[in-house]
Amino acid sequence: MGASRIQMWQYITAILLIVFLGGHLVERLPWLVGAESYHDTLRSSFVSKQYGSWWSIGLLILAYTALFHGLNGVRGILHEWKPRLGTLWDAIIWAVFIVFALIATYTVAALW
Amino acid sequence: MSKGRAKENRPGLLRASLNPWLVRVEDHPERLAFVLHRVTGVIIIAYLLLHIIVTNTPARAGWEAWDQLMEQFGTNIVNQVGEFIVAGSVLFHGMNGIRLLLAEFFGVCIGRPEKPKPPYIPPTYRACQRQLLYLIFAVWPILWVFAGLLIFGVF
Repeated sequence: MGASRIQMWQYITAILLIVFLGGHLVERLPWLVGAESYHDTLRSSFVSKQYGSWWSIGLLILAYTALFHGLNGVRGILHEWKPRLGTLWDAIIWAVFIVFALIATYTVAALW
Repeated sequence: MSKGRAKENRPGLLRASLNPWLVRVEDHPERLAFVLHRVTGVIIIAYLLLHIIVTNTPARAGWEAWDQLMEQFGTNIVNQVGEFIVAGSVLFHGMNGIRLLLAEFFGVCIGRPEKPKPPYIPPTYRACQRQLLYLIFAVWPILWVFAGLLIFGVF
């Protein structure tokens, strides 16, 4: 994938993150979800409902886009740091992406 | 010109991109925003990887283990300070990201090209992306304090 195309994906994932991360963070506002405090919104009684609904697909999209956006940013920094190791950086970043995407997929699938 | 090995034409990764305290920002808040965007991005990706592992707990060990974990996180000051730092990072990175999307992806708020004339101030520095940046620097601490009140259980 060309550098400019990856940068386009960086912007596209940024737009997706505004939507999905925004939704994810709104769930932590206690008065919007009927909880007593921020920490109450993290209890299983609240969180399990989110995993058991269609929003879990949103959480999965959020995980993929956040991983791509974040790891691609790290990849850029690594390429600037040691440009000669570009292929190695790409391989490491893709490996980390796949491993953590699999963990996120397993989490959502198991709690569906 | 110095003898021996030629120096690379870059100021170094740390000074260039990761340390906001080493950056000269006179009249260039965009430079400070660039560095803060990177620093906050590194903090967020580190948190994201941990977050994906931690949120896997109920799938591996059940919801009781999750509740125990959240009880520990909620009462541990180190975790709360960590969450507070991540919240500030997400707030700045998100707001500055919207400014970058507008300027770089949608091409708005960057002014029009013009013939250079003294004092050679680029149109971009006089465009509304600069006002947006000042707005971000003003709103960010307010939202961060609000997030802190939530995280530390004030309300």
